[in-house]
Order: sequence, then C-alpha cells, then structure tokens
Amino acid sequence: MLMPKKVRHRKHHRGRTRGTAKGGTTVTFGEYGIQAVEPGWLTARQIEAARIAMTRHIKRGGKVWINVFPDKPVTEKPAETRMGSGKGNPERWVAVVKPGRILFELSYGDEVVAREAIDRAIQKLPIKARFVEREEAL
Amino acid sequence: MPELVLAADTGRLTGTRPSRRLRSEGKVPGVVYGMGQDAQSVAVDWPALRKALTTEAGLNALIDLDVDGAHQLSIVKELQRHPVRREVVHVDFLRIDPDVEIQVDVPITLVGEAREVIAENGMVDQTMFSLSVHSRPDAIPSELVADISALTVGDSLRVSDLSLPTGVRTEVEADEAIAIGMVTRSTLESMAEDEAAEALAEAESELGEGGEAAGEADQAEGDATGDDD
Repeated sequence: MLMPKKVRHRKHHRGRTRGTAKGGTTVTFGEYGIQAVEPGWLTARQIEAARIAMTRHIKRGGKVWINVFPDKPVTEKPAETRMGSGKGNPERWVAVVKPGRILFELSYGDEVVAREAIDRAIQKLPIKARFVEREEAL
Repeated sequence: MPELVLAADTGRLTGTRPSRRLRSEGKVPGVVYGMGQDAQSVAVDWPALRKALTTEAGLNALIDLDVDGAHQLSIVKELQRHPVRREVVHVDFLRIDPDVEIQVDVPITLVGEAREVIAENGMVDQTMFSLSVHSRPDAIPSELVADISALTVGDSLRVSDLSLPTGVRTEVEADEAIAIGMVTRSTLESMAEDEAAEALAEAESELGEGGEAAGEADQAEGDATGDDD
C-alpha cells in the first residue's frame, strides 16, 4: 500500500478542507479519469482497492495512473482508553482530496470497458466521484 | 483559415463579484493582450465564443475580435475552466500579426491500429498529446496525424516521425516520444497469474489421475486377496 518513506512529523492535525482543487483537475496522462466531486480523505487501502478493481476489470492492454498520494497520518487511541495522555498512535495514511481533483487516470482502447472499470473503482471510494474524459466539450 | 468575428465588450468591472455577475448573464470575462499594447479587460458572449471555438480549427481558430468597433486579429491563448463544473470561467485572447509567426499547441491524433502491439497484449501509450509549433497564423494546422500501424512493443513514435505541413516548424526535440508500444506491468501481472492458475490446474488434474490410478490398483489388490479368501 502507498505510504511515505519518511516524514518530518509523525502526527498531523486534522485540518479543514475548504474550497476546490487548485491543481490536478485535468486528465493529463491517460484518456479517462476519476474526478472527485466532494471533499474527503482517501485511505491507502481505499486507493489500493480502487486500483485493483480497475486493473482486474480491464485485465490486459491498459494502464492505470494513481494521481493522489496518502501522505497524511491519521491517529487513533486504543479502544477503552481514558481520555488524555496525549495524542493516539498513527494508524493509517490518507490523501486529502478536494472537489475537482483527478484521482486516477486510465488508458484503455475500449471506452465501454474503461467506463465499467472506472465505475467499479468509484464504488471503492468513500466520496462522490465521476468519470471524465481527456477531450472536454466546450 | 476563415476568420470568425467575435464581439467583445470593454469597460467591465474586474474582481470576483462583477465577474460572477457577468457569468450569470451568459458572458465570459476575458483579457486581450499582446503586440506590445496594454492589456484590456473584456467580456464576450459565451454562445458566440463557443461557436467560434468549435469549428474545424479547434481552439487555435483565428478570431477577429471586435473590441468597441476596433477589429483585432487574435487567438485564444488560454481557457480557464471551473474545476468541478468544467464551464469556461475566463478567456485570454492574444493579439497577433497575420505576417508574424506565432507559437501554438496543435493536437496530435493517432491513426491506425498497432496490430503487432495488440497481438502481444500490449497497448499504445500516448505520451505527447499536443505539439508546440511555430507557424504563421494562416498556416496553423488543425491537427497533426501520426500513424501507429507499424508500431511494435518496445518501439516508439517520435516527433521526427511527424510530417509537419509546409511553413510549420517545431523546436521540440526530434527524438521526443509521442507514443510508445508497451506491455504494462498490470498486464504482465495478469499474464503471470493466468499462467500460475493454469499450472496449478494441470498439477491438480495430474494428481487426480495419479490418485485414481492408485485407487484402481488398491481395488485390484483387494479383489486378489478376496479371491484368495
């Protein structure tokens, strides 16, 4: 699963997600993409599940790009622990996503199959997302 | 290349709120600059702009911009879109001289079918989708066509393989790749999985046959002992 090799700070603040994505809002590498339409956190597991759903569906002759990276640690306190005694332990890594962000890109010859693969990947994500194409109509 | 006339109103108020008001009225805020003149804030009708940019020339269409009666040949330098709604929120027009070369990005279209690549379960990965070219405004091609029929796995189509029309040149490196014939890692993994599954199935069937044979032998032995009894 995706995670940073080393970090400057082991524990982060949660932060607030406001506004829309400033960059990474267009399909750059492939022909199709998955675009987030609401903000949220994607865990490394969810990203991996979506990638696997896509690659298993297209089987052969396609290429998948992951455009987000889970670089934010999320901490959790152990169960049945009294409050206090500092912040919990890092448990998982998440990618902070804003609306408009392209999460994955896909190159595949058959558009129908590509759409199906992307629909399956979207099912694995905790946020609303949609299918987008490189060529945008005016 | 036919010129399209587009009316642009000047004197629009700048800033977020006036620009939003303009957009709600069906207009797109924009700016005109270039040729050593001052930049001018303008507003254009969205339906007219869309019509001007959906011709055969695409986004590189030459537009005769009518700025308060003064006609100015221009080209769309940049279109800004809303990140979620994808509607055009701002447009940059570049003033151009019809006799002076300009630099524009021309889309690259791949044609043909890379049969050899497909036969090897590969794919054609297009790495360059547009080429920056220098050309006189009247000679800008609407697209550059690249034939991928002869592409093989491990081979690539380069900028030098493109045939540029006369009067069009590029400063992009000639050996820069446009499309690469490749077998992706996921395809290799999938093929390896299939092979492993086949090998497992074969081994199981062999084991099953061996087991049946052994069972038959045991039965024969049992029959023999029965006879003895």
